Amino acid sequence: MNRRLLLTLFCCLPLGLKASPSEAEAKLRSAINEVLTLADRASTNTALTVSVRPVLVRYVSFETMTKRAIGVGWRQFTPAQQQRATDLFTTLVIRTYIGKFTPGERPVIDYKIATTPAAARVDVPTSLIYKGSRYAVTYRMEQIGGWKIADVVIEGVSMIANYRSQLDATFKQSGAEAVIRSLEQSVSR
Amino acid sequence: MNSKLHHLVLAGTLLCLAACTSANPNSARADTTKADDQDDYDVATQISDPLEPVNRVTFFINDQIYKWALKPVSKTYTTVLPKGLRECIDNVYENAKFPVRFINSGLQGKFDRAGKELQKFAVNTFAGFGGIIKQSNRIPSLTGVPSEDTGQTLAKWGLGHGPYIVLPLLGPSSARELVGFGGDYVLDPINWGFFFEDADDWAWIPSTGNTVRALPLQLQRYEDTTATAIDPYTAVRSTFVQNRNSAATE
Repeated sequence: MNRRLLLTLFCCLPLGLKASPSEAEAKLRSAINEVLTLADRASTNTALTVSVRPVLVRYVSFETMTKRAIGVGWRQFTPAQQQRATDLFTTLVIRTYIGKFTPGERPVIDYKIATTPAAARVDVPTSLIYKGSRYAVTYRMEQIGGWKIADVVIEGVSMIANYRSQLDATFKQSGAEAVIRSLEQSVSR
Repeated sequence: MNSKLHHLVLAGTLLCLAACTSANPNSARADTTKADDQDDYDVATQISDPLEPVNRVTFFINDQIYKWALKPVSKTYTTVLPKGLRECIDNVYENAKFPVRFINSGLQGKFDRAGKELQKFAVNTFAGFGGIIKQSNRIPSLTGVPSEDTGQTLAKWGLGHGPYIVLPLLGPSSARELVGFGGDYVLDPINWGFFFEDADDWAWIPSTGNTVRALPLQLQRYEDTTATAIDPYTAVRSTFVQNRNSAATE
């Protein structure tokens, strides 16, 4: 092995692992702009929930979200159960997210300096002024076949951590089918 | 010389690769609590809840009180008073809470933040007609200053949450946050009337006004948390813990 090859190996190892905040932030801005454009056109939250789904599916890794919301129990789900849980959780997350919108009200978003807490992960903090109130919203972006949103943290409260505390307990008590039934009940409300 | 350098570099490379790929000390725990390598949610909402059976009963009673008593009060308040007037009332109460934020910023050694609180108070009191108009929002350096309270100070001093407690009417708390609530209560000028001996006739007015004006936002947050929850009790506990932990590290 020659010296040039070894030096190249040394140089490339850290570079290969380094996350790119600017790329992740650009992706996030595209996602938010597309959602806000749809929100401007929608007259009701129900209409927005339907129209926004294909856009969010492109920008959000719902499978990663579902997996982490369920926790270690995810490994014991069959592929069919994983797919069913992901579909239900996607509906729940979109409903939760869109439920915070009021048609006709547009937020003012100030993007802060992004951080890279881990390899292939970028956290983009924002300050959002909506209906006269200011909120701290951080988007967790991860490299999952391109930059995808993996969590939304509002005022320090992670959407995924919140469901994790509920679904993990359900799984430990009653198993995968109980988790799916809980998700079905929440979606049908 | 070249041969030695090669060996040295090769050894260094192998050590780096070994360090990257070797099992970390947490891997055993990771296997049993994590869904994947990037999953760090297993500890995000942890709090001791030895009183859970009692807490769940209190939670249920609170829920009924919110639904059947406080929500109608909140609805009446938002219907009768126009939005602009409600904002002015909120501004006055928030401005009056200045000692809570100022003293706790100082107690945490955040003197720059304490200075900003003092500037905000001066600007809003004198240029905002006693705090009715939040003039500090026009000054970029004074916007978005994280507000400090006694619970955050106790956290900064190293105190853990202690057991989770659901308080009648007031809702989620912990041993630490309950002490913090006591500190905030004493530091908030709207409660100072209670400390006078002849205060019976009027002291309740500012604090009751504060409770009513805060109701719409508090109930909205409660409904946001519970509306899509699988277990509303756990969802509220998780939201409380994350929110307070985040505030303590700001």
